[in-house]
Amino acid sequence: MTKKQTFAEAFAELEAITTWFEQADADLDEGLKKFERGLALATFCKDKLAEVEVKVDLLKKKFTEEE
Amino acid sequence: MQPVISVADYLELVNAALRTIPSENVVIEGEVAGFKVSHDTWVTFDLKDEKADALLPCFLHVSKLTVPIESGMRVHVAGYARVKEQWGKFSLNVTSVVPTGEGALAKAYQLVKVKLDAEGLFNVLRKRAIPRFPERIGLITSKEAAAYGDFMRILQNRWGGVTVVHASVHVQGQLAVPEILAAFAQFNAMSAGERPDVLVLTRGGGSLEDLHAFNDEQVARAVFSSHIPVVVGVGHERDESLCDFVADVRASTPSNAAERVVPDRGEMLRSITFSAERMASTFMHRIDRHRDRGERAMRAIDRFFSDIAAKLASAERFLASVDPANVLGRGYAIVRKGDVVVKDPATLAHGDALRVQLARGTIDADVRNGRVKSEKRKVEGQTSLL
Repeated sequence: MTKKQTFAEAFAELEAITTWFEQADADLDEGLKKFERGLALATFCKDKLAEVEVKVDLLKKKFTEEE
Repeated sequence: MQPVISVADYLELVNAALRTIPSENVVIEGEVAGFKVSHDTWVTFDLKDEKADALLPCFLHVSKLTVPIESGMRVHVAGYARVKEQWGKFSLNVTSVVPTGEGALAKAYQLVKVKLDAEGLFNVLRKRAIPRFPERIGLITSKEAAAYGDFMRILQNRWGGVTVVHASVHVQGQLAVPEILAAFAQFNAMSAGERPDVLVLTRGGGSLEDLHAFNDEQVARAVFSSHIPVVVGVGHERDESLCDFVADVRASTPSNAAERVVPDRGEMLRSITFSAERMASTFMHRIDRHRDRGERAMRAIDRFFSDIAAKLASAERFLASVDPANVLGRGYAIVRKGDVVVKDPATLAHGDALRVQLARGTIDADVRNGRVKSEKRKVEGQTSLL
């Protein structure tokens, strides 16, 4: 998994894999690959959830002299 | 002998005298009567005094009308008096006219609302979805306001790993409208990497006068034409503003705006766990049907077992212990007969050859007295978890 992957992308892919398992009846090799990928994605998403920090950037105003 | 001057010269004297009135220092309050727009350009009305029998003719260019005005409205007017030479008529050249008092403000509000509605600014079909997991949030509100604290607190309680880009603006008073407009312009002009995924315009509740910026036609249009989806949350549940109606998502309060913008991490954790479990269980069923497919599938079962066991033991250890090597490292073993993992001693007979996999290697063993001496408990224990 690349570092650039966002939570949104990972979660969407996890949902897609879950749906795949419910619908497709593909072979086990494919299933195993998807399963491993799914677990990795779940781990990644969980790790992301552990991030609690909200960063605040003050927008540098171009419009008033106030402050 | 008295000097003789022309009419024009005399009116010039009159106007010079009128200019000595310190008009810029006063605002005249009265009620609008006979409001009329000629040729879409010139606006005339009379400003009436409620108590005294007094009347002031007013005159202005239509571009000076920033808020809709109509007869019967109570207004504050600023301007300077002069006599128009061509007609010899005295009037007030109006530089600004704004409704005042709840009644007039309510009327002006209704007028703009009807106008914007007719133009389609409130159309539900144009409302855009906001991203489910925004990474950058543009927040337009006053740093001092309670709304800021409420929004940030709820945001932080629910979600993390996001950046809030805060445009600190006045949310009431004269600076509010230009600052809010500038903030929208600035966010929308940002490059793709900087630009927020969603904008939040919010403030606490208040009177119509307090909320004027959120009922301003220009601000409503800025919300409408923003390329970035906009969530608007004003005051208490009962408050409404024109920006609310234009917004892609209307939140009832600043706190509610935070709830609408980010998901709840507890819910997401449950959702992820649920997804992983569903995936695991459907995969398990499939493997059950292809039991003879060998070692790889078995490894997957092992992973699943350790996954479930760890999840039940502790949410934090959930997926960390998915790898069978970790399980073996804690002293467990996997017992196989041929390629099949042994789960039930009843499937074994005296003398069966077993292979016991430990963390650092394997040992071969035989079944004595139809009983397995090593680690069957664990396998059984896991099976029961299903």
